[in-house]
Amino acid sequence: MKESRLSSDTEEIVHKHDHELGGVIAMLEEIQSQHSYLPESALKTVATETGRSLVEIYGVATFYRYFSLKPRGEHLISVCLGTACHVRQGSMIAKELEDQLGIRAGETTPDQQFSLETVNCLGACARGPIVLVDGHYFSNVKKTQVSQILKKTLKGLDAIDVTKDPRVFPVKLRCPHCNHSLLDPNYLIDNHPTVRLTISFGEKHGWMRLSSLYGSYNIKSEYKIPVNTIVDTFCPHCHAELVGSSACAVCNAPMVPMTIYGGGLIQICSRRGCKSHIMDLANSICVNCDNRHTCKLIKPEKGVWHCEEYV
Amino acid sequence: MVKVSSINELKDLFEMVNTNHDQSRPHIVICAGTACQASGANDIIRVAKKYILQNQLLDAISVRITGCHGFCEMGPFILTQPQGAFYHQVTIHNINRIIDAVIADDYVEDLLYRDPKTNIKYFKQDDIPFFKKQQRTIFSKNQEIDPIRIDDYIANDGYKALYKVFSSLSPEKVVDEVKVSGLRGRGGAGFPTGVKWELIAKQPSDDGKYVVCNADEGDPGAYMDRSLLEGNPFSIIEGMTIGAYATGANEGVIYVRNEYPLAIKHLIIALRQAREMGLLGENILGSSFSFDIRIVKGAGAFVCGEETALMRSIEGKVGEPRQRPPYPVQKGIRGNPTVINNVETWANISFIINMGATEYAKIGTDGNSGTKIFSLVGKIKNTGLIEVPMGISINEIVFDIGGGSPGDAKIKAVQTGGPSGGCIPVSKFDLLIDYDSLAKAGSIMGSGGMIVMDENTCMVDVARYFMDFLKAESCGKCYTCRKGTQRMYEILDDISRGKGTLEDLDLLEELALVVQDSTMCGLGQTASNPVLSTMQYFRAEYERHIIQKRCDAFVCKELTGAPCQTGCPVGTEAWRYIAHIARGDYEQAYLAIREANPFPSVCARVCNHQCEEHCRVKTSGGEALAIRSLKRFITDRIDPSIYKPERSAEIQKSPVAVIGAGPAGLTTAHYLSLLGYQVTIFDSEVKPGGMLFSTIPSYRLPQETINKEIDSLLNENITLKSNVALGTDVTIDQLFEDGFKAVMISIGAHKSKPLQLENEDADGVYPSIEFLKAYNIQGEQLARGRVGVIGGGNSALDAARTALRQKDVESVTILYRRTREEMPAFAEEIEAADQEGIDIQTLVTPLKVITKDGALSSLECCKNRLGEIDSSGRRRPVPIKDSEYTIELDTLIVAIGEDAGVDAIGPADSSNIDVTKWNTVKTDDNTLLTSRPGVFAGGDVVTGPNTIIDAIAAGKKAAVMIDRYLHGEELDQPVETELPHVYIEPIEVESEDLSIIDRAESPMITVEKRQKNFNEVESVLSVTAARKEAGRCLRCDLEFTQPEEVDEECLVNEGGAK
Repeated sequence: MKESRLSSDTEEIVHKHDHELGGVIAMLEEIQSQHSYLPESALKTVATETGRSLVEIYGVATFYRYFSLKPRGEHLISVCLGTACHVRQGSMIAKELEDQLGIRAGETTPDQQFSLETVNCLGACARGPIVLVDGHYFSNVKKTQVSQILKKTLKGLDAIDVTKDPRVFPVKLRCPHCNHSLLDPNYLIDNHPTVRLTISFGEKHGWMRLSSLYGSYNIKSEYKIPVNTIVDTFCPHCHAELVGSSACAVCNAPMVPMTIYGGGLIQICSRRGCKSHIMDLANSICVNCDNRHTCKLIKPEKGVWHCEEYV
Repeated sequence: MVKVSSINELKDLFEMVNTNHDQSRPHIVICAGTACQASGANDIIRVAKKYILQNQLLDAISVRITGCHGFCEMGPFILTQPQGAFYHQVTIHNINRIIDAVIADDYVEDLLYRDPKTNIKYFKQDDIPFFKKQQRTIFSKNQEIDPIRIDDYIANDGYKALYKVFSSLSPEKVVDEVKVSGLRGRGGAGFPTGVKWELIAKQPSDDGKYVVCNADEGDPGAYMDRSLLEGNPFSIIEGMTIGAYATGANEGVIYVRNEYPLAIKHLIIALRQAREMGLLGENILGSSFSFDIRIVKGAGAFVCGEETALMRSIEGKVGEPRQRPPYPVQKGIRGNPTVINNVETWANISFIINMGATEYAKIGTDGNSGTKIFSLVGKIKNTGLIEVPMGISINEIVFDIGGGSPGDAKIKAVQTGGPSGGCIPVSKFDLLIDYDSLAKAGSIMGSGGMIVMDENTCMVDVARYFMDFLKAESCGKCYTCRKGTQRMYEILDDISRGKGTLEDLDLLEELALVVQDSTMCGLGQTASNPVLSTMQYFRAEYERHIIQKRCDAFVCKELTGAPCQTGCPVGTEAWRYIAHIARGDYEQAYLAIREANPFPSVCARVCNHQCEEHCRVKTSGGEALAIRSLKRFITDRIDPSIYKPERSAEIQKSPVAVIGAGPAGLTTAHYLSLLGYQVTIFDSEVKPGGMLFSTIPSYRLPQETINKEIDSLLNENITLKSNVALGTDVTIDQLFEDGFKAVMISIGAHKSKPLQLENEDADGVYPSIEFLKAYNIQGEQLARGRVGVIGGGNSALDAARTALRQKDVESVTILYRRTREEMPAFAEEIEAADQEGIDIQTLVTPLKVITKDGALSSLECCKNRLGEIDSSGRRRPVPIKDSEYTIELDTLIVAIGEDAGVDAIGPADSSNIDVTKWNTVKTDDNTLLTSRPGVFAGGDVVTGPNTIIDAIAAGKKAAVMIDRYLHGEELDQPVETELPHVYIEPIEVESEDLSIIDRAESPMITVEKRQKNFNEVESVLSVTAARKEAGRCLRCDLEFTQPEEVDEECLVNEGGAK
């Protein structure tokens, strides 16, 4: 069952990229981003679907450093061994990581927690030695900091205490159409009033509540939203659909705009699981309006909060 | 988003954007390039937004998030407008103060950038030396633009070039402009871009043509392409659009590394916005020209930067290069004509069109026009991206912009051009950089990586590193590249392990030339550069590895072991006693110290601690362990008698004479006596100790410490004859006639060098050694009144601080010709002198001693400024015209260096002992043998004024050599590197971050308690401080040692037997 799903997913990926430039490489990149490695069966599917020999596909998969034929651990640690990092003793950091994890570069710990790799250059040369863990950069790394990095990784590098972290703060959001507050003081998440929205996906139609703490990703919804689902979002007051002017830079799903009480606009990605969001500190929705260049309406200095033109 | 469908609409758009774009508002500009994100820029952005929202400051200030500004070392940083202030290493705790200041049109003075060396504060970004000398024409746009907003780009002259092209230039004219500009490919090879465009423009094609942006920035150490893509993606898109228009291409590809996620993200957004605005796609601006760009992500293969390999990779295949011709302009992607240019080249295009080709060609030098972005990284103070005109010198880049070395290690070379480039030594830093000059010097421009290397960088290791890289990245198609890089790596690896031979060097060179000649693509043809250039400029370093088995940079693992041990001239296992201290085993620690060093208490006070210089904590960017203080901690608390030296039972029949009872002579005598030799030491002074007691002031080294230590070295095999001077009381010939079979000369360097100024012999002018000896030996206080000391070494500091303690002295002034930074004296001595109230005047040269009635009355001096950088990498002091002035003095002490007293040996023709032109005894480096058989020499008499520990090392070595000599053995025997071999279990350190614990400093007695007496100034660490300090050790030894394996079976058997 799982195997057949993998195969149909792969087929979809192959067809998406088959005639594109980049072709097989783009397919393998997408497969790897889904599975963290290239399963043998996926390579076979790619070969069958593209009509190329498995040897050729295998050739591509092994030629490029980015691809892995072995499953990777939960956390991927990349140690930069570019020249600048090398002269600042990056290899000592790599060795220390090898020693502490008990594996060599290119391997994964038996508990599947960590994979360690060395990379040629991460392009942050000024601050070497650089270690990249799950997308987080650690710069000017010293040998004595290695154990800390591992500990932090296990705790979760994104993990923050929303009640104490100085980077987290409450925002009051409004509907950009009717200007009604979206906050629901009767339903709390993170001990704060929530942002109430109406959503629909598939056949489901119901409420969703987001933490109003900027920096917290906690949400509740009437129906469980499967990961990767794009939801349509509406204002619970005026029922207008909330769709932004641009799509998510990460996953290309529509963005959901909401205005901030006091000024500015927040847009969050409408895809479940995608954490992409933008906070614009501008005075009105005019700044992000599609029609801002052609709009002939009178705009007060700070722009307007509510506009008939806004689509 | 508004869509523009004609040239006029584009013009309207410019106006509209410009009216909407209010630049006069107060702004904080936050750099969010990858390097700044790595240092926490995202947190700064978030907290800035929080502060602005919560305090309702939206009307008062705007935030602009931008790509990289280049000064990555200082990240995360904030630029403010309109003030132009530059705040560096901003934290989430002080961002609010900056916001408040900007709103009040003010500065936060304590957060402004200060030069770490000069401590000068800068209010404006443009005044900071790092920025001042640059010419940031392309890169400066980054700070004006939020890379995800096309409006920002348009408001900063974006798409003006496209407008100009569409309204007034034919494709042929565009090609002409680029040709006239003289732009050469910024990817590294420097092929004229206009010529390339002309070639493809003329190519017929039925199936379209491609323009490609090569953003496969694989050169490790270079990241300017990334910063351009991240910070100003629109400029690349505009450049490519113009390129496509000029060459007749209709499809564009940006081939970008997968390792650059932020660049890819910004490109995706930028492409989408350009499309939505109608600046990409069908019928651009209503013309018949259609063009779009897609992103193809590379998957991590260095060779894909090579254009033919890159095209194959774009086609989704294995990225192997192919033979050229056909060139890509003839037959490229999918067989269609393709023009490939580097990111930076594309970024230059709109700039050329906007300013006009002839104007552009005036930047830089003839044949090398324009600016170039370099990534200045490695061992340099100001690391980051810099943009400079072609034809600037390396000196200007490294020292003026880069600020020179970050610490006290000297810069040795720069490596340019990545794995295809080479190393250029500091002696050639006056080279004016362009494509051709770099190639001539054995390197290449490459994409502009410039990695600065210092004394702690090993050139053999650098060559080995690049070859390791290249052998992995060679696609394997050409045999000579595949095998050649592999074999070169193996040879270099052997050399780095001390297993190389001199013949290997010839083989290496031959191989390098073969690989260069016989491979197909750029990777192979340039793969030898790192080897050839390092061998050309640093052959001595290769030979040191091979013959002496030394890696002077302390990098090659098998030749270094623990750097503190290898760095110590006598090979003290510092790591071992530090490990014992951490465990509280102080006696064991003492034994480790004493085994290697016969003068532990002396060295615990006055050693120049070369161990600390090489300590990995220091060379990896922290503060060295306070090893000398730890040694002092041990020697102060352990009774030396616990150490029983190993003595040979044999009695050696050949008596040995040692001349000079300084540290070198005493050491030789001590070790020879342990081997059973009868040794007689002759010394010209009243008691032994040499420099130790005659010139080192007792506030640094108490007399009883010296006496105790010397007493413990003497035994019944040693006869000491004081008051016997070489030359007057005894000669070498006599010694041999008296039956001595070998002689060690260790008479030191006791003669102060004269200044060679007029009236130097006047009363009141003293050579420093004479002055110090007068006090230390006779108790005579020669200094009085206002005292001047000329010099900046330890001897000058000793003289100045001794003078200050003499009873008739009013004031003491040190005069030194360079700056404090260059003073050779120990930093702690300089600091102590400051505390005691000694006036240190720098950049002063004495010109003339002025006398009155035959006695000193004043000194005429002139001021210096720092001039050009000399071959040592230091700035030469240059006298300032008409800056002469006089200082009134009653005493002048000259401490500009010492000469060895070789005249005591007598002329070479009678003594048969050769001397050098520096007046030192000439010896064989490896054996210490002089030109006369049986006569050895060591210490300052050979090296000139040097350190105590080097003298002790020479003394130890002389003992070995004399023993070999007297047994008729070969003196010069192969050298073995001492690697750590004793396993000491490390203690568990609590999980606190060791890198943030400060170095322990030995306590000093207060200035009041020491200023006018000779009490010892430095005292000893407490037990807690010492053990904590020992806990900071990285334990480099553990790489070489293992716990002894407990044989379990054996244990069982033993148990059973009981």
